Amino acid sequence: MSTKIGTDPSANSPGHATEQTIAAEHLAKTYGDRAALDGVTFAVPRGRIVGLVGRNGSGKTTLLRALQGLAAPTAGRATLFGVDGLALGEAELARLGMVHQESRFIPWMTGRAHLDFTRSFYPRWDAARERRLVDAFELDLTQRTGAMSPGAVQKLAIVTAVCHRPEAILLDEPAASLDPPSREALYSTLFELLREDEPAIMISSHQLDDIERSVDWILCLEKGRVVRDEALDSLQERYARWRVLPTSDAPALPTEFREGWIRSAVIEPRGALLVVEGADDAREAFEARHSVTVDAQPLRLSEMFKVWTNGGAR
Amino acid sequence: MLITLERNSGVPVFRQICEQIRFQVAAGVLRAGTEIPSTRDLGERLGINPMTVSKAYALLEQEGVLERRPGLALMVRGAANGRAASAHREKQDELAQRELERLLRPAAIAARQLGVPAKDAIELFKRVLRAPGDEA
Repeated sequence: MSTKIGTDPSANSPGHATEQTIAAEHLAKTYGDRAALDGVTFAVPRGRIVGLVGRNGSGKTTLLRALQGLAAPTAGRATLFGVDGLALGEAELARLGMVHQESRFIPWMTGRAHLDFTRSFYPRWDAARERRLVDAFELDLTQRTGAMSPGAVQKLAIVTAVCHRPEAILLDEPAASLDPPSREALYSTLFELLREDEPAIMISSHQLDDIERSVDWILCLEKGRVVRDEALDSLQERYARWRVLPTSDAPALPTEFREGWIRSAVIEPRGALLVVEGADDAREAFEARHSVTVDAQPLRLSEMFKVWTNGGAR
Repeated sequence: MLITLERNSGVPVFRQICEQIRFQVAAGVLRAGTEIPSTRDLGERLGINPMTVSKAYALLEQEGVLERRPGLALMVRGAANGRAASAHREKQDELAQRELERLLRPAAIAARQLGVPAKDAIELFKRVLRAPGDEA
């Protein structure tokens, strides 16, 4: 676990390494006296798929709305292709794909009519991709959108959002009403898009296991602030769960450990479970100092999330 | 090339790819000169970002497990005959030891935590080596 190579998987991709497709700078948004976003800064280049995570009310939706110009920043900037959300023009919108938390379509239109209507705005519409997605989602396009189940509406929204070959894709809880096979289809669609068009993708979700399986980067918000903005594999290499047992000739464990890299601890006299960050090199010294043995296990994203969001309790 | 991923294991996907390719080179499943799938193809097969595959391949290139020759696909390093062949066998042995050590480490930690003395642990390993399929 010691070899380190570049943590930015897109650093070497040619052509657009420097363009920050989805970005924010010191972005703040206040509603009355409540700060929904409080100094958010990040940048997503093309070819990267970012999981936007955070508890309810952490600012995820406000951030996605500000990026599209649906919410005016109180301070700072939210940009797509370098253009402020409020200044986005036709040229930029044609390069953007967006799936909202709840999609609404004109209820008397069939799925087919809706897709035909949408594609008429986009010269780059990819009909082959549309057919593949409709098949993968088992979507019945003869149905009127008003009669579709919430899951089918969401699938239609996803097809609508990606067939014009967008270079930036924002998805706000796209999978909430999808069953497991459709979620699989959604995520494999995103990888297909990455292979074909190399867009920048930002996807918000509470389904951390899905996010862990799918993204290369984590942006975690807590109370409107960025608490993590890092490659998933680098997080996976730095975090670990330690099972700590006293050596056979040692007395009981201390009642607390004061090492600064311990993020959470459950301590009993004969054993402890710790979540640690960046402690690989400190393990041997820790074992010697406390007369313990350590079994280090990888940590899942859902466990890291508890640490970042204060145990998930408020 | 046989790769399976544990997507919610907490182990970075690029590490899992590296470990499995190293294992297959060490075991002779992937022979010297074998072409490796492109990052795009493997990305598609595994349902992951091709960038993640690139990261794994870059690390294996750096370790001398894979090599990129001008104008050719990425391949397992080494040649079928001559000096390069014996260098490849050495590399295979080194990889085999490294992989086995990695796989034994959790067992060693368990032995320490369970208080099983080293000589008993070694006896156990010898027994398991003789009859690897049997449950103790």
